[in-house]
Amino acid sequence: MRIACLLVPDLPLYAELRACEALRGRPLAIASGTDPGAEVVAASAEARAAGVLLYTSIPRARSRCPGLAVRVASPALEQAARGALIDLALAFSPRVTAAPRAAGAFAAAAAVHLDASGVTSLFRSEAGFAAELEARSTEQGLPGVVAVAGSKDVSLLLARTRARDPRKESSLPPGAEAAFLADLSLDWFEPGEPLASRLTRFGLQRVRDLLALPGRGLAERLGPEILALRKRARGEAPESPLPEWREPRLEEGIDLEFAVDRIEPLLFVLRGVLSRLLKRLRSRGRVVGSLDCQLGFAGGRRVERCIRVAAPTDDERVLLRLLALWLESQPPEDPVEFVALASEGVPERGEQLDLFLPRGPDPAGLDRTLAELEALCGAERVGAPNDPDGHRPDRCGLQPFDPPPASSDSRTQEGAPPRSGLGGLRALRPPLTAEVQVQRGRPHFLRCAVACGPLVAVAGPWRISGHWWNEHERFAFDYFDVQVEDTSLLRLRFDWREKRWQVDGLYD
Amino acid sequence: MPPSHARPAVRPGPDGVPLRPPPSEALNRLLRDLGPALQRGNRLALPAPREAEATSVGQLLAGGFPRGQLSEISGPASAGCTSLALELLQHTTRSGELAAVIDPGDAFDPPSAARAGVALERVLWVRPPDTAKALRCAERLLQTEGFPLVILDLVDSKQLVPPAAWLRLARGAAAHPSALVVLSRERLSGSHAAIALGLHPGRAHWSEDPPLFERLECGAKILRQRRGPPRECGTLRFAQAPLD
Repeated sequence: MRIACLLVPDLPLYAELRACEALRGRPLAIASGTDPGAEVVAASAEARAAGVLLYTSIPRARSRCPGLAVRVASPALEQAARGALIDLALAFSPRVTAAPRAAGAFAAAAAVHLDASGVTSLFRSEAGFAAELEARSTEQGLPGVVAVAGSKDVSLLLARTRARDPRKESSLPPGAEAAFLADLSLDWFEPGEPLASRLTRFGLQRVRDLLALPGRGLAERLGPEILALRKRARGEAPESPLPEWREPRLEEGIDLEFAVDRIEPLLFVLRGVLSRLLKRLRSRGRVVGSLDCQLGFAGGRRVERCIRVAAPTDDERVLLRLLALWLESQPPEDPVEFVALASEGVPERGEQLDLFLPRGPDPAGLDRTLAELEALCGAERVGAPNDPDGHRPDRCGLQPFDPPPASSDSRTQEGAPPRSGLGGLRALRPPLTAEVQVQRGRPHFLRCAVACGPLVAVAGPWRISGHWWNEHERFAFDYFDVQVEDTSLLRLRFDWREKRWQVDGLYD
Repeated sequence: MPPSHARPAVRPGPDGVPLRPPPSEALNRLLRDLGPALQRGNRLALPAPREAEATSVGQLLAGGFPRGQLSEISGPASAGCTSLALELLQHTTRSGELAAVIDPGDAFDPPSAARAGVALERVLWVRPPDTAKALRCAERLLQTEGFPLVILDLVDSKQLVPPAAWLRLARGAAAHPSALVVLSRERLSGSHAAIALGLHPGRAHWSEDPPLFERLECGAKILRQRRGPPRECGTLRFAQAPLD
């Protein structure tokens, strides 16, 4: 089996540059923290050229490079960058795993392993595959080095040597592992502090020095850890096979250096986070089905909200508008210090429209519109009107807007052509309370918010009652059609339960 | 041999051509022949008006409300604005197309719309909480292709609409072939409307026995038309649909 390792040496630096393109090309240093003793953990090529060294204090780095931009290492950005590295590897192989985080000199590096078996049929050579993967990683803003070998451990070591010396070959042919490992320093295997000091005391610096020693008595002299190190140095360490990547959830976030208390700057930040998330989803061939937004406040409090998208989309403008509508409807109570967006993504679907029928809206576009309208007005205020089965004249319902295809409707038209010129009623919700004078059992004078005067024409009553079995829903009304002197035509009713007059409609 | 049936006498004319009997005589003869099949007019149930009786919107406006433009229907209470809007909805939805009603006043009545022949499943009913959001909804719907009719009901709106909003809506309607029809009590859209139709209440017809509200007549006047002067254009008649 052939395994490739994609290694990004300065992950904190590229994670920051990935989030803030404006810093690209400028001397930039990543600090380990905000305390006075914070050190430089990563520096851009421009900063290194200006004399900024790793693990120096920030004031010293600033003194060497006056124009130095300093950013604090952001765990959220690094986490997102590690995720992007996985996405990058998944574009080449379904069998991907993240290398465990290293310590010491390699603490700032991030690596992923991917299955490289059979890549020569696609890329002619393993070196070509490595070059293609490196080019893609540079394109994604995470420039790294790639090495291909027979095991995860060896490929990682080869990638580390390539990061130091790019002239090294990117592919190690089968059988050449022993020769490659023999020249390596034992420090590359991260032996741990106690074992490293014992190795130094014994004068063992390189792999070949260790392998030259007889195995008997080695553990007694150097400790039991030396056996595992010896196996690794021989390239014989047992490794678990590469699993298929099963984690569908993608997350992008950012820790803000300064808390944001207004919506506009927060949206500016969200735009960048969303843009990076969509880019990663596209690399997996997916679009947003639902979006989880997380806001972190001072004191560690976090708020999470799932924004449902009516139709899967990767339209940044639409998603940003949904976020803006959410923030406008529920503005954050405290200044925001952390922002994260996450989505599992769903495959995008196409829709076949009919050639001979009226062209309706694009299904995806219609769903996006509905989602925006629901975010603007509330889900219970958008839909198709429904005429529920019942006798109550003011019945009203709303159902999800899902128009049937035009063909079925045109078939129903053939049987019963609709009548034209029918009058409509304008509902008054809630019904207006009215004062009514009654003469001989019929309304005679009306006073309400929309009309006042004697009634010149009255039709009715129509007694309508129902739901007598339900205490809360039962009703009993006497309905009248009335015309007030000023030509207003109203639907008047007397509620027998409440014993009051109401106007619930206007003929218009 | 005399005929078995008595035939009316026909007087010859001066040129020998038989003269037609005078109208009154012909009418009397027809009444006599039909006998009990005839009823007096005041006893007849009024038939429901058909499309030919009512002056249609298409006739009034020489083609209806134009797509891709903003139009406005304004009028006081019981002037027929809602009925005219329902007729537009009926024509649009019955042809298999979609329509949207933006209703900040929550005044759309599904049962009466269904009686008027509107295919409710093809109507998108949006009830924004205020006028500002109603304008935003209208703009968003106009950006969505596939809604040839968008009705913006501002009859109950008491908030002022900024003039720039009308300009945006007019441009939005022009971007896609959608007819944006605004309902209002008084004219709101000014010169941004391609057609402004003013309605005023006419006569309400009530039957006598039993007393029933049967028909509403409304006067219509084109207050503004880009290709023509303002003019009175007729009467709209809306019959009251039978109850369920």
